Amino acid sequence: MNRIAMLGGLIAGLGFFFLPILNLKPNRLASGTSFNLLEFQGDDRYLMLFLLALIPIVLSFRNDAESRGWMLVGSGSLLFLLTLILPAGAGANLLLDPEAYLGEGAFIRNPRILPSGGMVLGLLGAYVTIFAGVRDLARAEVQMWVQAIATWVAPLIAIGLLVNGSFDVYSILVEFYANGAALEQKFVEHLMFVFISLGVGFVVGVGLGLWASRDERVAPVILYAVGIIQTIPSLALFGVLLVPLARLGDRAFLPTLGFFGVSLAIALVIGVSYVLLADREPARLKIVHLLATAITATVPLALFVGVFVSFLFRLANVGFTSGAYDSTTTTIFGLLAAALVTWIVGRWFVKPDGFLRTWLRRANWLLSGATTVAVIVLFVQAAGNSRVLGTVDSVSTLTIRDLGVSGIGVAPALIALTLYSLLPLVRNTYAGLNNVDPAIIDSGRGMGMTPSQRFFQIELPLAFPVIMAGVRNAGVALVGIGTVATVIGAGGLGDFVIQGIVNTSIDQILLGAIPAIALALVLDATLRGLEGIFTSPGIKQVQS
Amino acid sequence: MIEFQNVVKRFPDGFTAVKGLNLKVHEGEITVFIGPSGCGKTTSMRMVNRLLSISEGKILVEGRDNKDFPAEELRRKIGYAIQQIGLFPHFTVLDNIAVVPRLLGWDETRIRKRVDELLDLVGLDPDVNRDKYPRQLSGGQQQRVGVARALGADPPIMLMDEPFGAIDPITREVLQEEFLQIQKEIGKTIIFVTHDIDEAIKMGDRIAILRDGLLEQYDTPDNILAHPKDRFVRDFVGSDRSLKRLGLVRVHELMDTEKVPSVRIRDTVEKAEQVIKEHNVRSAFVVDDDGELRGWVDLDGIRHSPKSLLDAMTEADYHEIGVRKNNTAREALSAMVARSFRITPVVDKSGRLLGSITLKALQDLAEQGWGDEEGNGS
Ligand SMILES: Nc1ncnc2c1ncn2[C@@H]1O[C@H](COP(=O)(O)OP(=O)(O)OP(=O)(O)O)[C@@H](O)[C@H]1O
Ligand SMILES: [Mg+2]
Repeated sequence: MNRIAMLGGLIAGLGFFFLPILNLKPNRLASGTSFNLLEFQGDDRYLMLFLLALIPIVLSFRNDAESRGWMLVGSGSLLFLLTLILPAGAGANLLLDPEAYLGEGAFIRNPRILPSGGMVLGLLGAYVTIFAGVRDLARAEVQMWVQAIATWVAPLIAIGLLVNGSFDVYSILVEFYANGAALEQKFVEHLMFVFISLGVGFVVGVGLGLWASRDERVAPVILYAVGIIQTIPSLALFGVLLVPLARLGDRAFLPTLGFFGVSLAIALVIGVSYVLLADREPARLKIVHLLATAITATVPLALFVGVFVSFLFRLANVGFTSGAYDSTTTTIFGLLAAALVTWIVGRWFVKPDGFLRTWLRRANWLLSGATTVAVIVLFVQAAGNSRVLGTVDSVSTLTIRDLGVSGIGVAPALIALTLYSLLPLVRNTYAGLNNVDPAIIDSGRGMGMTPSQRFFQIELPLAFPVIMAGVRNAGVALVGIGTVATVIGAGGLGDFVIQGIVNTSIDQILLGAIPAIALALVLDATLRGLEGIFTSPGIKQVQS
Repeated sequence: MIEFQNVVKRFPDGFTAVKGLNLKVHEGEITVFIGPSGCGKTTSMRMVNRLLSISEGKILVEGRDNKDFPAEELRRKIGYAIQQIGLFPHFTVLDNIAVVPRLLGWDETRIRKRVDELLDLVGLDPDVNRDKYPRQLSGGQQQRVGVARALGADPPIMLMDEPFGAIDPITREVLQEEFLQIQKEIGKTIIFVTHDIDEAIKMGDRIAILRDGLLEQYDTPDNILAHPKDRFVRDFVGSDRSLKRLGLVRVHELMDTEKVPSVRIRDTVEKAEQVIKEHNVRSAFVVDDDGELRGWVDLDGIRHSPKSLLDAMTEADYHEIGVRKNNTAREALSAMVARSFRITPVVDKSGRLLGSITLKALQDLAEQGWGDEEGNGS
């Protein structure tokens, strides 16, 4: 008796019986008509799904666990595959003559097919059946293998079918084919939001976390400040930035640059005097002095970085998506891939102190250098594009807005996203460094390690997994928050979502949401992988 | 080798933890710092390698003011082991032990050789343990790696702050014994901090008793037990200090090899009776032709079987009734009390009778201290 297998069969069977398997809509907006499996009576193939759902129920009464297990795995897999494939065929039939199903005169311009609840329950039931079967198998390693195959092969088959075009009848794919080029551009934009703000946020956040961990007086101030940012709703933050950035955008470029320079010089004077006087000042004055240094330096630096990054974003966006520089873009990705391959091979697949490793290392340096050069070339090419600087003809008439900073658009989006990334980065850097056992640092000091040796050899490697967890948190969050940036006209995958909401078109929403989800998952997995590679086995969390 | 000259330590909060310490640590010796919690042991020790700055006075290391060395260079030639061990969890055992050699720029082959050597020294199989991470080791094994790491670059001086503190009593004893063995080979100059008086007596060539940042008494363990300077020291070493002193003396230092009441197994009963009376004891030891201890004979036995010594004697295993010459006097006393002997034979490992030790001799030794103290008054 295998109750779980019975449950799997029941889920699939009842799903097929009571819930619609497909939904046919006469156009994008209208709500459609649902079709139950039984409504395809003329075609026996669809009745097979019912039979397949019955098999686990019958099998569950068998007593020989081992053979029952294998049969369940087999029938479950078959159920899974056919539930994926067969309805698509039925859908194609529906599309052939929609009026036959929707009635004469239904407004049919762009008929669409959506998979419905019955299909979801069918797949779920199939999975439950497979795992019920796995549990019946006697040997643990066989179980492990079958489970791994079931977990990985099924989605791979689904992806294969997708690529093969088997699902093309479904409306989300129709939407995808209609918007392919736009999707690519929005995806690249989204990717750049995430990477640029994560990159800037990483430098700033890890820096602040480091400062907080070194100086217990400023720690509460910093942690409190980044905590406050997190409580501001993202929409409000975009809004708050609107006015100051619009003002900044109006300014002429050269005077503003002069202003940055002067305030940085002032900050430098205050900073140097702080360092020189540090030992002689009373504690009270010292902290005021320190804060003055921080503020005078931060404001112009932040503005400068903001303007610069916005401009880079504009360059990159034009460079990667305009299609005008495809050969350069291809070169960049080619070089990047080659650099990655030499790095991976050099690190894991050759002898540690062999001649090949030295050689590969050199090649890697060369390729990384070449990639950098190619990116610069792309930026220079893009800088000449009329989409970047518009009609500006001399530096003296250049405004900050021409560089890409304005109240709406990319600049506020990047700033807000960077601010949002700070909390996990600062908090995790601070926690990671602060939680290093003082006895470990003390023994490092006692053995004669210099402060920088201690930092790079002890503190950083020990805090690394915690910092990386912060990077992952920030990255995944940014992918999500990035979709909101559309409301200030910054673009990204959020464009589809908002349009979909406006049009009440689930397909459009999914067109934005699915790539965002996939991006978040891939980013998380990649960062986890990096974390695993660079974390010493001595401090890895034990897998249980 | 290390000399404290009027050393004062004042912390930023105004608290003075060390109030003028004068003390000379002798080359090749273990000097134990001991005293109640908070008396400034750790503080004093940490000023030697400048983990703490010195407020007043100075500390000479190898005859030079330790401020004349760059701090990192000073620390690299002073081994450092602490109670929390502080192994780097992300380093293998090899990398941990190699820290100072690498800082000093040794080449890798020399480092590997040195690490294996040290692992052997502290009783860990290099092939098994070299590539393990600290969390894969037991507490005692980690402690050994900690000691090996402190010895990494063969520093002439070692600072050890309760290095065996976080370990169960049995393992601690083992580690203490092992470390004394190692020290016999390597002869480092060591400052050893503990608050366990038994450990201090066992490990120390000299003991410095600290109290509230001042040196209370500085002497060899024997002298401190025999002549505690004042009530504080007396209380600190404990009311059983006579027994503790017996723990410092080995049986071979006290045993009598001349006037041993022994007879051979072929001797006559009369001979036995004569020996017993001559030595004024209750029984005589019986040995065979090889000199191995076989048992004893007393006057009762002789009265029952006046014909043959073999019948009159009580046979006994030499393990049972004898003590070894490397046992402490304290162990000998314990053996005598347990068997209510007034005299006990000393044997070697194959059971040959080497001499004897009397309860009286032990008593005399234990009383020395008390006697002197009564004389000195306090
Ligand atoms: N950084 C510090 N600031 C102020 N006071 C301190 C500091 N470090 C230690 N002290 C004080 O100095 C005194 C001596 O401390 P120390 O650590 O040397 O004691 P100890 O003899 O090693 O004690 P224990 O046996 O408990 O380890 C204590 O009273 C302690 O509170
Ligand atoms: Mg201490």
